[in-house]
Amino acid sequence: MTKKMEQDTQLLKTKIKDLIVDEGFQHKEARRLLGEKASEAAVRKETERRMERAQELSEKLVRPLGTTTRPYPMWGSQRVDYKGQSNLEQVLSRIADDSNPMKVYSERPYSEVIAMAYCDMPVPSMLPLFFDGLERRKPESTNRTQMMIGDPGAGKSFMGALQGRMRSTKPVEVFDCGGKNMNELLFEMVLDFGAGDALPKAVDKRLQAGSLEALSLAKLKQLPAGAVTLDDDKNIKSIDWNYFKGNAKPQDVEAAFSILKDVAQIEGLDNASGNMLGMNSQYGPLIRWFIEGREGVLDEYNKSKEGSDNGLQTVWQFLNGETNECTVENPLKNKDLTNGPSSFTFRRDDMQAGFFVTLTGNKTEDGLTTRSLNKSVYSRLSPQTLPDPTEADWQHRICQMMCGVPVSTLYNVFREQADENPKEFGQWLMQLRKTKAELEGVPVPELQETLLENWRNVVNSSRKLARFYSEWSEMTNAENLMTTGNTDLIEEVDEEYSKKEGIDFRKIKQHLEAALPIRPRMLPEDAETKADFKNFMEQPKLGEKEYENPSVAFGTRLVDVLDRMVFEKSEAIGKHKLYEKLKASMDNAGLRDIVLQDGAHSFQRSVEEDLNVSVFDSTDVGKRAAAARKVFCDYIRQVDPQIVEADDDKIITIARLKRALQTVGDDNTAETKDLFIVNRDHESLGAFPLARAKIEDMAAYPEGTEEVELSVSDIVSHEDFMAALALPTVSAKNLDAIWDTNIRTLSEQIEKEQNPQDTEPEKKSSADEIFKITENRSEQGLATTTLRVMFKDAAGKESDVSVHIVLNKNRKKALVVGEKVPTKLLSAFKEAGIIHVDRHAPNAKAKVDAALTDLTRGTRNPELTKRHLADAFRFRNDFDLGEFLVAKKAITPAELKAAREELKNSNEPEAKLDEVLIKQGVLTAAQLADKTKLSEMLVDDKMGMLYEKYVVKDRKKPSI
Amino acid sequence: MTGEGRKTSPPADLLEKTASVAAQQNAMERGCKFLPHGSRLFPVEQGWESTTIRRDDKVSVVSTLLELEETMQSADAKVIFIPIGAMMTDADIEKICQRNATVRTFFKEVKKGE
Repeated sequence: MTKKMEQDTQLLKTKIKDLIVDEGFQHKEARRLLGEKASEAAVRKETERRMERAQELSEKLVRPLGTTTRPYPMWGSQRVDYKGQSNLEQVLSRIADDSNPMKVYSERPYSEVIAMAYCDMPVPSMLPLFFDGLERRKPESTNRTQMMIGDPGAGKSFMGALQGRMRSTKPVEVFDCGGKNMNELLFEMVLDFGAGDALPKAVDKRLQAGSLEALSLAKLKQLPAGAVTLDDDKNIKSIDWNYFKGNAKPQDVEAAFSILKDVAQIEGLDNASGNMLGMNSQYGPLIRWFIEGREGVLDEYNKSKEGSDNGLQTVWQFLNGETNECTVENPLKNKDLTNGPSSFTFRRDDMQAGFFVTLTGNKTEDGLTTRSLNKSVYSRLSPQTLPDPTEADWQHRICQMMCGVPVSTLYNVFREQADENPKEFGQWLMQLRKTKAELEGVPVPELQETLLENWRNVVNSSRKLARFYSEWSEMTNAENLMTTGNTDLIEEVDEEYSKKEGIDFRKIKQHLEAALPIRPRMLPEDAETKADFKNFMEQPKLGEKEYENPSVAFGTRLVDVLDRMVFEKSEAIGKHKLYEKLKASMDNAGLRDIVLQDGAHSFQRSVEEDLNVSVFDSTDVGKRAAAARKVFCDYIRQVDPQIVEADDDKIITIARLKRALQTVGDDNTAETKDLFIVNRDHESLGAFPLARAKIEDMAAYPEGTEEVELSVSDIVSHEDFMAALALPTVSAKNLDAIWDTNIRTLSEQIEKEQNPQDTEPEKKSSADEIFKITENRSEQGLATTTLRVMFKDAAGKESDVSVHIVLNKNRKKALVVGEKVPTKLLSAFKEAGIIHVDRHAPNAKAKVDAALTDLTRGTRNPELTKRHLADAFRFRNDFDLGEFLVAKKAITPAELKAAREELKNSNEPEAKLDEVLIKQGVLTAAQLADKTKLSEMLVDDKMGMLYEKYVVKDRKKPSI
Repeated sequence: MTGEGRKTSPPADLLEKTASVAAQQNAMERGCKFLPHGSRLFPVEQGWESTTIRRDDKVSVVSTLLELEETMQSADAKVIFIPIGAMMTDADIEKICQRNATVRTFFKEVKKGE
């Protein structure tokens, strides 16, 4: 530590009288110091010196908060004029005052104070208390206490400690007052292990080595419960020695003294030098904090022992500024042969800048252990009661827990600037988070970084989550059911339930903790799985592990956790009405896809979708390029044995890939129909990583026109096409480029030729929706098409194969069914929102089914949408129902022959094969629907195409 | 220096630091337990990641509650590693964080698959 740093960490030990920049005050101080006999000139000179010194020290300590260029959010009452009437309302605004900003007197650098003040900011409704806390910490304030009363989990002790943490790098001591005699705040009975804690260290060492005598172990287990933790087998896991140095009750200290004396003797540690053990009375936390000039928090003050704080009244009078001096006597002195100080005198003159005491208390409704304080304590400590949390508070805390920054509050305060320049706002949020991460000693977690880059998603989703949590909290608060519109829950929600399951801010923590890790996920109820019964008792061989970015499905995991919690805390314990209301609240808040009452799908994104974010969504092209480079290099190495270079930079630089992605990003591929694929040419891929491709659609060459001639080498390989779908930017642009209206044009031509009369309007409207699905113009955002690419199988045989694509553009998700792809692409597909299914995989159909259910979720009628998708699929693919059913062994060839025979002889011109099969009793309608599901067709490797749509290399256009 | 030209491979300590950052990031991706006053506890499976984090000279290793509380008093000990055999439970760590309000990052070594 440098000398300057040492000086800086001593600044809070400065006496507050030396920090007050007030001429009148310093003049009085100078007169007092120099005495009555000193001349006025000398006093003036001393006053001047003291003023200069105070100014200098203040400048070193003061960190302004809430200036014109660095406004700080503030919540409070304000007169708001509306329609000519002035109303008193609580609003969220800001403090931005260069002359009188808020001030933090801190030893920490400005950037650290700012990062903590903004990232760990109390919820909006607590900001006025935060403001008061800062005011009371000013040198001129004689009140050095702040007491807050509120519900458990509201963040009272966090806020008190935050103010201390903002000021000093030392930890703020938090003293748990629960069940304790408050006289211990002044003088306490402790165990004295001597300097170096030799005895505890020796015991710990033997405990860890398993070499403690059995009798010692038995004795140690008798130590007070607050100090010993036992494991599941009732063995000692840990001993909290510091518990006996300032946290234990006197009777616990006495008991421990006796036990440890015995243990020391059994272990032969009583004779070793340094292994001292004594019992002393010493200054309690209040006096220690005062002497050391530091902050402390007295937690759960009104859970302390009734009547035990009577002796503290004079101390509170001193601490709140009513008196300037106060002496307290040590009642423990000479008790049971203990040593210690006999008294202590608090003097205003000795008060240091760093000293402050925060007291917290729970509302008296919180159980029997919480007591109402004496009138004199209320009068002296003037507790401030926290308001009930608002939706803005919930949102603030949700953002803080998810991203480390209260994005919603900052957005609300800087809304205009943020909307005007979202990128700059996002960078500012990241800067705050990164500075705070330096204090934490680790980088910003990737999930938080991704969320901050997508801060708008965070604002939107947290608003919905806040609404839900706020309603959940109201529904589980027995006290307020009548006033919150939850009278119908009176029978189910009682005070006991409220205490146990009531929703407070701590629950957000628990839910996020559960949602953060990637865990196995339950399959949809109707998903197909096939167990290997034959080899069930053998340990299975697992497939290659696919890396998954934690943010890709974070929203899904969070909403899954909430679904589970809601059930467990209501329906599972017989609270049916509560469950129904909570489910409705989840739907109304939009946790999952929003389906409007008329059945239409809302274009508002759900919480799940907003929080499922990936690097593909990043606004930072550099990040996308870095991710693309990884996919590019991994892919190239895996498919091209000639490339053995381990250094990605030597294959392609990020800068080069960034330029290529920028070019792709600027291309309106929905119009130009340009496709981009990985350039596999060794000579040029380092400079031009992406080659061009285009679609050659046979549907664009109606009968009679000359078809384009394609050779095998013209057609893009399955691998290269798939790799492009795994590249950020390129993936989305390629998925934009593959749609066309050729099938509609062709159908209209055929229709005109075959039936010059107009078709029935009803049929036409249904067909129109199906056409739109083939063209990616459906309002529901769903589309499907099939592309043809070259594939070399394991035996080296090359042939053209189909790649089926089902897209939900509203949700930026796609299902791609094709051949097996290089494993390195699989994790990138997840990031891209692409579900890839190898059509030959044993569980391919189940995977496709699950993907289709996911893609159609939230549409007006998912089942109808699936049928429309199947119809759209058939427009381009050569689907023969009869052959298909025979191939699937749903019917026999003989049954098909019989059905066709009947169809041929039928008098009904509109009769269809499916109807005949049902009529003949070969299949039921349900069986038929099941066997001809889209998933069955998508995984059918024998499915040919009516109109092939080839992905071909575009050699006329240069690589980029 | 031998005068035979510059070394082309990165220095070993730089490699170790890079590995430690990677190991920390991997552990952080797997979720955490939120502790009082803004501290976080990340489980890290026994293996190369835990070994690398433990070896990082910026990381303090503690095995007992006494060591833990002493380490927390130091402003420089921002990252604390708790080896698998350490004499403390998650509840112990939470208790110590509750009474010493400061922000620290904990990596706790756990058995594979725990």
